[in-house]
Amino acid sequence: MDLIHPRTPADVAEALRDSSASGRRVLVVGGRRHLDKGNPAEVDAELWTSQLDQVIAYEPAEMLAVVQAGMRVGALAELLAENGQEWPADAPADATVGGVLASGASSARRLKVGALRDTVTEMMLVTGDGRIVKTGARTVKNVTGYDLHRLLTGSLGTLGVITQVALKLRPWPESRRTLVVPGGLDLAIALAAEVPLAGGVLATPGGIEVLLEGWAGEVDELEGAVSALAPGAAPLDGAPFPRAPWWTWPGDGTIVEAAVSPSRVAAVVDGSEAFAALAGVGLAWVATSAAELGALRARVAAAGGIAPAVRGAGGLGDGPVPGHDVHRRLKASFDPAGILAPGRGWHR
Amino acid sequence: MADVDAARRELDAALGSQSVLSDPLALRLYARDASMVEGGCALVALPTTTEQIQACVRIAAAHGLPIVPRGSGTGLAGAATPIGDSLVVSTARMSRVVEVRPEDRLAWVDPGLPNLDLANHLRPMGWTYAPDPSSQQTSSIGGNVNTNAGGPHCLAYGVTSAHVLAVDVVMADGSLERFGAEGPEAPGYDLRGVVVGSEGTLGLVARVCVRILPMPPAVRTMLFGFDSVEACAATVSDLIARGVVPAAVEMMDQGIVRAAESFAHAGYPTDAAALLIVEVDGTEAGVSAQAREVEAAARENDASSERVANDEAERALLWKGRKSAFGAVAQIAPHYHLHDCVVPRTKLVEVLRGVYAIAERHGLIVTNVFHAGDGNLHPLFSFDRTVPGTLERVLQASDEVVRLCVEAGGSLTGEHGIGLEKRDFMPLVFSAQDLAAQACVRSAFDPHGRMNPRKVLPDGARCGDFAVAATGSGDAAADARDLPEGSWI
Repeated sequence: MDLIHPRTPADVAEALRDSSASGRRVLVVGGRRHLDKGNPAEVDAELWTSQLDQVIAYEPAEMLAVVQAGMRVGALAELLAENGQEWPADAPADATVGGVLASGASSARRLKVGALRDTVTEMMLVTGDGRIVKTGARTVKNVTGYDLHRLLTGSLGTLGVITQVALKLRPWPESRRTLVVPGGLDLAIALAAEVPLAGGVLATPGGIEVLLEGWAGEVDELEGAVSALAPGAAPLDGAPFPRAPWWTWPGDGTIVEAAVSPSRVAAVVDGSEAFAALAGVGLAWVATSAAELGALRARVAAAGGIAPAVRGAGGLGDGPVPGHDVHRRLKASFDPAGILAPGRGWHR
Repeated sequence: MADVDAARRELDAALGSQSVLSDPLALRLYARDASMVEGGCALVALPTTTEQIQACVRIAAAHGLPIVPRGSGTGLAGAATPIGDSLVVSTARMSRVVEVRPEDRLAWVDPGLPNLDLANHLRPMGWTYAPDPSSQQTSSIGGNVNTNAGGPHCLAYGVTSAHVLAVDVVMADGSLERFGAEGPEAPGYDLRGVVVGSEGTLGLVARVCVRILPMPPAVRTMLFGFDSVEACAATVSDLIARGVVPAAVEMMDQGIVRAAESFAHAGYPTDAAALLIVEVDGTEAGVSAQAREVEAAARENDASSERVANDEAERALLWKGRKSAFGAVAQIAPHYHLHDCVVPRTKLVEVLRGVYAIAERHGLIVTNVFHAGDGNLHPLFSFDRTVPGTLERVLQASDEVVRLCVEAGGSLTGEHGIGLEKRDFMPLVFSAQDLAAQACVRSAFDPHGRMNPRKVLPDGARCGDFAVAATGSGDAAADARDLPEGSWI
């Protein structure tokens, strides 16, 4: 296995040009935190983005940060916190910005902060044949040309290497509090529906975690709204949300990240002993086994969703991928030699 | 060669002859959108179902007619201005709310549904659709998807792409695909994300699944007057530094305030050099906390007047002045050219000064209203195009405004799109290689170039193997008046 350690985007371009010429198959690697997501791909080399870790521009008044893709999420969080801001990735500290984006990871606070893909306003990427391309702009709003960065986000490193992104930030809230509430999924769904502006409502077998964030008085007010519905709610100041994200779960068995419309999430977690479901969002992380995976995916598919594995074996799962010809032509344009993790992406 | 007669016969059979227009008056009416660019078309189809849209696409392809998708025709960049023997496919007769599912936080709607009709439909149910372009009374959701429309409330909530879960798209070969999903993630590349903002060049949006949000429990709308635009802009920076992301921050200069006031009678302070509308929402306590910070920022910057809407009627009045501003400018002169540029918000004042200087140099009247929180400017030139030489001066000034915004680190358009008006400015912000990559996206969706050809990308941009002639330097950006043959300003 070759290891490629580019120090600059030009190095990335050179390595990929060479790889395309020689047919060397390449897996793009950030912090190795999201590598299990994707179908098995046989490769000859790993391209590590870890040295592409510079802050290119950060002007707090713009609420935008331009960073290289190999920057660690934790390092970025520290820099932004100094200015009272954050990028709401909710990913492991040693994950890279590029890895989080390329894997299409979701924030646990999606109910309030929206999809992480919407925070990318500009991207620099290198195509499979080594061409450096820019898309988007360093402005919070832009409709200048096609949003190529949308295609790269969630592409699992199969269209190009993300080398740099401009990210939309948000102010760090004045107050943040997690409440623990005894109850199941039905109560969690009621809380997500009835508590205005909750940061997140997570149903687990051990109870419900409700994240409240905002101005101090606002969080007190929201806590009152939670208690009105769930009298047993108890605050846990300073606890992370979730208390135990999926990457901290014991063992190394398969965990899927199921995505269904919010009202169908019960169909995903029913019968499961280890899960965490985001009420009002339709995302659920479920621990499963090789034997149960097929049945779980069948239930999710019947609910109209998908269930890619994010840890362990299992790949992305079968199922129709809309726009098959468009996918094929995009791949042929951006990675004409087919060297970027062949077979790793979604296919039917 | 396009066989218009044969296409007309087949469209009559598929849609009914009352849904196909080819009389000279209709062709004239559909020859442009709300931009300054005029073109022409051979036929206009008004389908009422997705199947009829598919039939339109197949028939047009069979007979060599390019397809120009059209929503309400309020676009300001010429994306819906047809060129040559094209078939305009208007979704105006597809305007239903198909279903609303609060339990899934979504609604399915027809593409021709006016934006405001959706908001009005959701309001009694306690829900809202966040993007609210100024054209919302008329502009359609399908059109909003195609321009990735913004609006005052996109500062806190994001532009259209953050609110579109899925789109049903009639592809260039007439097939139907659903991109995105009702759930939070979909398999494959995010084709939904690239269709949003594609200005009808990737396919025809036949149905849209939008994300709906619960109405915030409380909202407060404030109005501040300032003696200088600098103080007004500094207030915007300061409130953001205080950790406030208001639902909306709109700035108006004196020229536009005066026009809006004599039209809407909103009680705007017409002696102020600039005016700021700030709206915050959230819980009662959250709104109070934000309002406190906003007021403190305004006072620190010596706001000359201050007003808070006390009830919904007063709030509506404050917004009426802002939202009717572009209509109100008709009092200044018979014609206007509205710009849309986006710059880093810290460059607002500098760019605004530059815009005034450009207008002065060309002897033009310019007024400004903009989404200050987003750094999204809308300089508006008022003029009378019957006066010889005026249009040329407006176009020259517009050209300079675009270059000014790009030099300040901005981009060509924040929410109106590229269309025909700005496609030849694309090399100002993208290299030939960047544009070629975009051309690859286009040909991945539409290999034969049937959907809205010659829009968005300059004529030189080709996918191929990215091998295009270098036109990447700023100086190479063609004059925006080099419009394709068959279109004119």
